[in-house]
Amino acid sequence: MDNTGTSRVLGMKANLLLCFVLLCIVGIEVFLTYRHLSTETLLAFLLVLAFFEAAIAVTYFMHLKYESPNLAWSLIPALIFVLFMMGNMLPDAMRVLNLRVIHW
Amino acid sequence: MNEPEVAVGIDHETWNEESPYRIPSRKLGMWLFILSDAVTFAAILYAYAFVRLATANWTRPFEVSSIVNGVVMTTVLLVSSVTTLAALDAAKHNQRSRSVTWLGVTMLLGMLFAALHIREWIKMIDKGWRLFQNPTGGPVLFGSTFFCITGLHLMHIIAGVVAIAVVAIKYSRGSLDTGHVESVGLYWHFVDLVWMFVFPLVYLMNAK
Repeated sequence: MDNTGTSRVLGMKANLLLCFVLLCIVGIEVFLTYRHLSTETLLAFLLVLAFFEAAIAVTYFMHLKYESPNLAWSLIPALIFVLFMMGNMLPDAMRVLNLRVIHW
Repeated sequence: MNEPEVAVGIDHETWNEESPYRIPSRKLGMWLFILSDAVTFAAILYAYAFVRLATANWTRPFEVSSIVNGVVMTTVLLVSSVTTLAALDAAKHNQRSRSVTWLGVTMLLGMLFAALHIREWIKMIDKGWRLFQNPTGGPVLFGSTFFCITGLHLMHIIAGVVAIAVVAIKYSRGSLDTGHVESVGLYWHFVDLVWMFVFPLVYLMNAK
């Protein structure tokens, strides 16, 4: 009995194809690594590709595409907000490296 | 006064209200767990990325053999995601033994991933890398970030293998249903998803 709440999902052939696409993206990541780009540029490229891979995995492997839109609207914006806030708050924590002990 | 009289005034339909997400509670619980775990990984990866960019003479220890090992580990994990989907597909068609077989294959792939991971750790430790020790004399931060991030991920892999084993055994006995197979599958896909960030950020960013 199917009590998963998800009725129609991709077939196994499509899943294998997606797996192949994800492996190709990993191949692109390795290729970019040996192009000797600057650290910042490489980080930006790798993050964009990793987010693309994550989007495919969440949408098709984790079946978020086939769930109620309410679920995606509850989870994804909240996660993006937290990630955005971390990106804003963490640079402030780097000040610790420049702090000095003051002897009165 | 007996129990039913206490509930006077409460419409029975109130208790059977449809979930706004139209999914079983256990699946919603797994999604919420995944969300909180994603934030945990995001926090350590953010911290690592900032420290990595802020340290000028960061050590890049990974030779081509380690990157190849990382690609093999990624392939193993991606294939294990597909076998998890095969297990769910079989469960939805009420083919219990086929579903359990695919769950077993997923477990084997998870154990292979863990073995490759531990082999990489042993290689690093043999070279003198420790949590707070850099054998090349550079900043010690690489060792601490590498072992913490990959260690946390490895713990998730081991927990996933144990969870899949428990679900497979109970599902084969008939005490769990398709929903449980899907929930453990969701967790496994999440572990795979996290590796899609760990591999490029920790391995590729530190390739020689």
